[in-house]
Amino acid sequence: MFGWLRVAASRIRGWFTIRRLDEDFQQELDSHLALLTEENLRRGLVPEQARRAARLRLGGLTQLRETHRELQGLPWLETLIQDVRYALRTLRKNLGFTTVAVLTLALGIGANTAIFSVVEGVMLAPLPFSQPDRLMAIWESHPNAPHVWISYPNFRDWQRNARSFQQMVAFAWQGSGLTSPGTPEHVEGMFISAGFFNTLGVRPALGREFSPQEDQHGGAPVVMISHRLWRNRFAGSREALGKLMTLDGMGCTLVGVLPPGFDFEGVADVYRPLGQGDPLLLNNRAIHPGILAVARLNPGVSVSQAQEEMSTIQKNLDQLYPDADRDLGTDVVPLKQEIVGNVGRTLLLVLGAVGLVLLIACANFAGLLLARSAARTREFAVRLALGASRSRVVRQLLTESVLFSLGGGGLGLLVAMWGVKPVLAALPGNLPRSENIGVNFPVLLFTLGVSIAVGLLFGLAPALRSSKAELELSLKEGNRSSTRAHHRAQSGLVIVQMALTVVLLVGAGLLFRTIRHLWDVNPGFDPRHVITLKVGLSPQLTRTASGTRVACQQLIECIRRIPGVEAADFTNVVPLSRDDNDSPFWIGAHQATYSQAAPRLNLFWTGPNYLQTMKIPLLHGRLLTLEDTTNSPPVILVDTAFADTYFRGRDPVGETVTIAYWGTVQIIGVVGHVRHWGLGDVSQMPKSEPVYASFYQLADQWVPAFYGELTVMVRTPLPATTVMPAIRKVVYGTGKDQPVYNVRTMEEIIAQSLSPQRFPMILLGVFAGLALLLASIGIYGVISYSVAQRAREIGIRMALGADKREVFRIVIGQGLRLTLGGLVIGVAAALILTRLVTSWSSLVYGIGTTDPLTFIAVSLVLTGVAGLACYIPARRATKVDPMVALRYE
Amino acid sequence: MTKDRSEILQGTLDLMVLQTLDAMGPLHGYGIARRIEQISEEVLRLNQGTIYASLVRLLQEGWVSGAWGVSENNRKAKFYSITRRGRKQLSAETENWERIAGVMGRVLQLTERR
Repeated sequence: MFGWLRVAASRIRGWFTIRRLDEDFQQELDSHLALLTEENLRRGLVPEQARRAARLRLGGLTQLRETHRELQGLPWLETLIQDVRYALRTLRKNLGFTTVAVLTLALGIGANTAIFSVVEGVMLAPLPFSQPDRLMAIWESHPNAPHVWISYPNFRDWQRNARSFQQMVAFAWQGSGLTSPGTPEHVEGMFISAGFFNTLGVRPALGREFSPQEDQHGGAPVVMISHRLWRNRFAGSREALGKLMTLDGMGCTLVGVLPPGFDFEGVADVYRPLGQGDPLLLNNRAIHPGILAVARLNPGVSVSQAQEEMSTIQKNLDQLYPDADRDLGTDVVPLKQEIVGNVGRTLLLVLGAVGLVLLIACANFAGLLLARSAARTREFAVRLALGASRSRVVRQLLTESVLFSLGGGGLGLLVAMWGVKPVLAALPGNLPRSENIGVNFPVLLFTLGVSIAVGLLFGLAPALRSSKAELELSLKEGNRSSTRAHHRAQSGLVIVQMALTVVLLVGAGLLFRTIRHLWDVNPGFDPRHVITLKVGLSPQLTRTASGTRVACQQLIECIRRIPGVEAADFTNVVPLSRDDNDSPFWIGAHQATYSQAAPRLNLFWTGPNYLQTMKIPLLHGRLLTLEDTTNSPPVILVDTAFADTYFRGRDPVGETVTIAYWGTVQIIGVVGHVRHWGLGDVSQMPKSEPVYASFYQLADQWVPAFYGELTVMVRTPLPATTVMPAIRKVVYGTGKDQPVYNVRTMEEIIAQSLSPQRFPMILLGVFAGLALLLASIGIYGVISYSVAQRAREIGIRMALGADKREVFRIVIGQGLRLTLGGLVIGVAAALILTRLVTSWSSLVYGIGTTDPLTFIAVSLVLTGVAGLACYIPARRATKVDPMVALRYE
Repeated sequence: MTKDRSEILQGTLDLMVLQTLDAMGPLHGYGIARRIEQISEEVLRLNQGTIYASLVRLLQEGWVSGAWGVSENNRKAKFYSITRRGRKQLSAETENWERIAGVMGRVLQLTERR
């Protein structure tokens, strides 16, 4: 049964020892001949005849040796090595050609390898947890918002009732001020339920995770930390377990350290029990304080079965607690999908775009091969005439083209290895799981596969073409019909390249116009010269609500006094940051029957000078002042969008609204609208509009929940590098243990909010540029080639009196005809694609996907660049000396 | 078609070599060729070199083994002998061959009678 295996093994062995086997066989044949000769001598033949007869009996020695060799070794490997050797020799002889071909492919394959390594790391690689595809994220959902953070009481009910899951846990992001051991610092953190790491299948490197007793109000204060923090703060000592750490002024016992590199949707350094969070936020079913559930499916349970069960559970809750839960549903999402999010669609779009670049590079490559095979027609004709089989010649040519593409792939791999990380770092937006990106085995496999496929596919057509046995025709010099066919094929390739380039240029151009448009959109405030920063207020200062208020006020006073600072104040929600403070409300007596039916507003808790600091204009009424405190009637400012939506032409000033968890408040003024949800937000979902209240009117029991969210906005014409040291100094002046963190300019925040458009725009722009470069090389090659081929024709024309201008026009005209052909096809393709590829068209804002300006600009750029590429060969054509051209024939 | 016939011929030669080695014990290439010719009473005049292709195949299958020795005329020569696996193969092939030969004989007689 394994006979073939034995034969294969013996052949492979034979291939390595072929030389010795050859010698052995020679000896064998020698002694055979000797024996035969002796036999013949015995029969009475004279020695000369005896030897001759012996040789005849044995058969042709060379042929015997050949057969023996073929049987012993691996003949195909031998031919392959021969082909490779021959190919390398020819490639080395045409160094210029080889360089261009390899570089072209390196660009195409390198760009694809780079993007694939990103797609692999972010989207394809499994999450680093055990059986990660069984892990789900569970959201609450609402008809107006597909994903709503869940309320803690709802989560507890899910956890109790759901049977589809082995475990269900929850978490919420929240950083902490870490004041000891070590220097005070703000650290990112998570509040997690007991069993969180067990659910993920991650074991602590040291110690344990939280027990259910710790995961509740009044439980022992405990903390788990990242491996990194453990190394930094405890020098990686095992003695660290049981030590106290001061977080937000509270002493917490260290019970566990996570394994190195643990990362859940972003890096956190401290983990505390979710159940110990603020009971005001956790015990109210109508409050959704940034909590998300994670659960592991039971074996055999499908996602849709789990979704069905969760819907039933939530429906029951809706009936039990209509005030808080009516209209709420659930959404069970695979955890990986949740973590990768919308980036996945963008990445696939980019992968598509870079695939087009590869196609363009391949078209160049095929064009180069065609041109080369045209030049080598005679070589092949000679080989065929000498008896080489067609398949042998094709194999030789394919070996050459695969060598090219492997060279290009190898070079491209280097580009991807060294290029991906710096490029990603330079691009806007944070890619989830980006630490996962690198050149690994799947990426290597991808590159190898693409290289070989490219070499075979794009080498095959030229190889078949040039191996066509038109013997007598090709052997004759200057065969017209085959060069014309070559030329047609090359022209077709150039048209395809041009069309693909148009598609990429249009894609990048429309995104570029979108971003230009978005930058021109007035956000509703003046984002220039504003620095935003957070301060971890000292725990000593924030023991009481009134103490916290004083600390905040002093901090702002001190910052305001710094020379160069024009204005400063704080807010709990930063515009365009994707944060919000969404709250149900009702106007006058129109109280909704249940909380989810009420309209919602976005409540900014601010210092009274926030609006002046941001230069949000007051249109009517008065601004907030320091006199608006807990002792005075509660007041808010609304913006024009809010006034238009809920008061429709009536003057809102003096009216009252009732805001959940606060009470009935009076509207004292109307201010300009701020586009909080994005400069280009066009979604049809009702959004909560901004209203502004004074932080100093926030009731005592809510102050602890909100002061940690405050961001200080500083308006100053000075650059951040100049003014930040002074700000740090005054912050440390009011309290030594107060870290300053999250320092960003408002313009950075706006740029960040544009990253969904900027990320693909930059990449598409780069790829469009690459495409343009490759396509212009392509058209340059074809036109140069055709000028060289037509030298005689041009010479005759000039001899017959055509002037240089006319020759120039003919050549340029030929190039422009190809460009125009590509342009027409490309524009048509772009018009269709912009409609079909919704992941891209959803990014376009403020202009139509058929924006004429973009299309005109693209046409001009393409024509201009193609014209330039044809200019050089056209010039060369005008310099043809008629005499030389004619004599050359 | 031609390929099939040559395969049958190859197989036949392989079988003859195996049988010869089984009957005669270790032999070198010349000895095998000579023996086959003698047995066939010189009807089968081999191109003696073809023996070696057959021997390589048999070696690769592990049906024969080869060892260097000294020939009758005091020359270094490779002596081949049948292995245990080779014997098994030989008996299977012999059976197979006889069956085919029988069938062929009957079929050919059929046509003759017409």
